Amino acid sequence: MRFYKKSDIVMIAAILLISLASWALYGYYTKDKPAKAEIYYYSELVETLCLDGAEERIFSIPQNPNVVFKMDKEGSIAFIASDCPDKICVKTGKIHRPGEYAACLPNGIILKIVPSGERGDDDADIIIGN
Amino acid sequence: MAVHMTERDPLGKINKTRSMVLAALMFAVALVLAIVENMMPPLPLAVPGVKFGLSNIAVMYALFFLGGRQAYLIAFLKGGFVFISRGIIAGALSLSGGILSVTVMLLLLLIFKEKISYLSISILGAVFHNIGQFLVITLLYAGMNILPYFPVLLVAGVIAGIVTSTLLRFILPALKRLV
Repeated sequence: MRFYKKSDIVMIAAILLISLASWALYGYYTKDKPAKAEIYYYSELVETLCLDGAEERIFSIPQNPNVVFKMDKEGSIAFIASDCPDKICVKTGKIHRPGEYAACLPNGIILKIVPSGERGDDDADIIIGN
Repeated sequence: MAVHMTERDPLGKINKTRSMVLAALMFAVALVLAIVENMMPPLPLAVPGVKFGLSNIAVMYALFFLGGRQAYLIAFLKGGFVFISRGIIAGALSLSGGILSVTVMLLLLLIFKEKISYLSISILGAVFHNIGQFLVITLLYAGMNILPYFPVLLVAGVIAGIVTSTLLRFILPALKRLV
């Protein structure tokens, strides 16, 4: 049995293609749904923001001024600063599709995108204990 | 299980005791690799929890040279160890990923025999490890939308497979002396 074969490249390409296709398909299905962002502080909804036609805005929630969010005109929102050690929330980057979320667990803050209006099945459903 | 193992030592069949000792040794290696991997700084990626799965090297060795039963055993025991040390969810994830990964690698070996490369087996093993975990997360957190995570898992599996099979290539000469 050999370690590498030329045909392995075909298999790698196929897997990458599948992942690309599923990514594109997901983007296509969730593209133009109206969305809003919800910010949770220890499972309590503290802020709801409409993402459609939003103005560029930098803000933070009163419970933790060290965590800063940024909303931009294209209708996406992101953590841009946080005092947590790992910065996973900031690295998640901009999110805008219903079902996407970014979380800062050390600070107990979750930012998630939900469809505006009806609550759908593709809602992220998260509870964090204190 | 001994049919497709031509890379076996020229000495021939391994006896039962030897096989058991080697399986135990590989389980220990798998645990040490997992611990070492946890001690390394996390990969600087947007998605948390993505890692190489270095302990798959031990599982793959067991699969190639000891047989499917030993590989399953290591996957099971590793799931049990993760359950004791990190809790039930982590245990379920480790077990589901491990079992699916070993099953897929075993099937590939049975179907393609000598024609498949270590790289392919390693990559598909890692990809299906991730898919197994993905399925369990979907079951455990029903309603949570992790679909956007799927392509990430596939790509991560490809990279992890390349890394583990490359490492296996360098370690194999040393491991071969054991059999």
